[in-house]
Amino acid sequence: MAEKSPVKEAASSESIPISNSNQLKPSPQLPSKFSSQTAPNSEVPSTPTSRPPSADADVVYVPSYSRWFSWDKIDSCESRFLPEFFDGRSASKGPSLYIYYRNSIIKLFRENPSRKITFTDVRKTLVGDVGSIRRVFDFLDHWGLINYSASSALSKPSKDTGSNIKSSDSPSVESPSSAAPTSKHSSNSRRICGACKSLCTIACFVCDKYDSTLCARCYVRGNFRVGLSNADFRRVEITDEAKADWSEKETLLLLEAIMHYGDDWKKVAQHVGGRTDKDCVAHFVKLPFGEEYLGHPLSNDDESGFETNKRMCLTPLADASNPIMAQAAFLSALAGVEIAEAAAQAAVSVLSQVDDITASRVGSGSLERNSKRESEISSNGDTNQNALERAAYADANSLLDKEEQDIERAITGITEVQMKEIQDKFLRFEEMDLQTEKERQQLESMKNLLFIDQLNLSFRRNYT
Amino acid sequence: MKSPASASWKAPLKFRMPTAENLIPIRLDIEVDGQRYKDAFTWNPYDPDSEVVMFAKRTVKDLKLAPGFLPQIVQSIQSQLATFRSYEGQDMYVGDKIIPIKLDLQVNHTVIRDQFLWDLNNFDSDPEEFARTLCKDLGIEDPEVGPAVAFAIREQLYEIAIQNVTSARENRISKKGRRAAEHFTPSKASGAALDLMKLFSFRSSVVRKRKEWDYYKPVLDLLSNEEVDALEAKEERSGR
Repeated sequence: MAEKSPVKEAASSESIPISNSNQLKPSPQLPSKFSSQTAPNSEVPSTPTSRPPSADADVVYVPSYSRWFSWDKIDSCESRFLPEFFDGRSASKGPSLYIYYRNSIIKLFRENPSRKITFTDVRKTLVGDVGSIRRVFDFLDHWGLINYSASSALSKPSKDTGSNIKSSDSPSVESPSSAAPTSKHSSNSRRICGACKSLCTIACFVCDKYDSTLCARCYVRGNFRVGLSNADFRRVEITDEAKADWSEKETLLLLEAIMHYGDDWKKVAQHVGGRTDKDCVAHFVKLPFGEEYLGHPLSNDDESGFETNKRMCLTPLADASNPIMAQAAFLSALAGVEIAEAAAQAAVSVLSQVDDITASRVGSGSLERNSKRESEISSNGDTNQNALERAAYADANSLLDKEEQDIERAITGITEVQMKEIQDKFLRFEEMDLQTEKERQQLESMKNLLFIDQLNLSFRRNYT
Repeated sequence: MKSPASASWKAPLKFRMPTAENLIPIRLDIEVDGQRYKDAFTWNPYDPDSEVVMFAKRTVKDLKLAPGFLPQIVQSIQSQLATFRSYEGQDMYVGDKIIPIKLDLQVNHTVIRDQFLWDLNNFDSDPEEFARTLCKDLGIEDPEVGPAVAFAIREQLYEIAIQNVTSARENRISKKGRRAAEHFTPSKASGAALDLMKLFSFRSSVVRKRKEWDYYKPVLDLLSNEEVDALEAKEERSGR
């Protein structure tokens, strides 16, 4: 607690940094004027501007006209401006009270120097009447001892309405004709219908091809341009869209991450920060030039050609009635051939294992269930190369059979062992039974002998 | 006015808070548009009236309340000030009253329960100082507890001062003799005060009996978040 608070005064500057170390009270030897001290401060002297940029956590800036401030002392200007504490009118409202108020307020402010401290914060924490607290607060505020270099942005950070993501890439995207003037690109949070110019509230329909937005009413009425059909629009929930607006920065991060990490969406999501991997995937696919940036690991012409084919083939599946299937097909298309295969294999084998265990317990036709599931999975893999899939399927089947047999054998073994155990127990119990029988008989005979002896004794006694 | 021996009377004083600083407790509980603002603080009644408006403006701005709060806050503070001022000109009787003051507060995460004796005749007493010392001694880290304690003490003192004023008024109204008036004040006063007078008679000692120690000890509890929420819910329900 006895550390000094070093102050460095730059000759031409207007403000002085004061090191806001953890220690609150400097040593009492500190002179009330700081200018004589030249204790080295690791911070750079402040600039000549009147309000220095937001300070480090360790340095608090104080204007030079307030350099009289000291934790322990009361300066003459303080007693002049706040006479109520110093005129001895009331016993309890004395200089010590003033020091208590002043030091608490400054301490409170310096705990977080980048934030402007409000009067209400202060008066809630100080014991005393709010009028005098307010006067002390105003005094300190006026003299720059608090709230001096605080940033003025107290409110929540303003939403990134963001510049258009696609503005840099955009020339090939046709701006819609004058009949449907531009609703903004998808990065904006408020959406205005292109046709009827009303604000979209609940959900709107976006056509990616021509980048137009229609409110629900216009969509239903069929109020779109020539050449578009119902299928070209996708439904966008306003609430979702509002929070899913991708700023330019995030998109850049996303593309970077994809370049580095390729298909590892978890890492991509981490790199982007604030978005789940599904979000990243979804947004990435929506970007018009996504493919270019992907730099597919096995990119050769066949692959790229195949991919574009796949994309086109994707749309029919996207309309498939089973949304899960559509999703799975979409993801497998996205992830690439081998990966989807491997995933399908792994899924099949695990599923069959799980099924085996349940089947052996139930004892019913697990194979039937398995085959049904496999057929589902195989239809799932329609977009992949079928030959490899069939081979995998056959392999999986044989593995399945082996597993089943193993399990059956194991179970019979177990039951045999248990039966043997029980038999042994029986034997042991029988032996024990025999033994106890024998002991009982012995006891009986002994009892008899004893009885005979007793009789003999009594006869003898009678005779003599 | 000579007073008989049994109930010692002092000459009536002008009404004021029986503390060193003549500060009054102000409580605000305003609801506007579904937003509820509850607050309690100490006010200096000698501040100019412009202070009220300024304070209200700052509070609304700092707490980001709806602007509809501003006139209500001003009105509430001013009406409480007016009530105080209406008592001010009148007389107040204080006997030798030592009253128990009870604290039962919940401030954020801290619950404090305490009971202690306060001398009403000591016009140099300072609830703020007491609150500061209490918080320091109990090592309370939440800085909002201090003002709440001081406010609670002041509020109770204020209530009792008001009672004394009304009893004085009734005394003057009743035309009975002094003895009847004596009957009045003791019966109006909290019965506890009289008991305490017995305590300080020559038979008992000043030192408190051991079994009463627990009764007069401060009890401090720190609540977890769930308990705070549970208490709030209970309050709301009872309020309804």
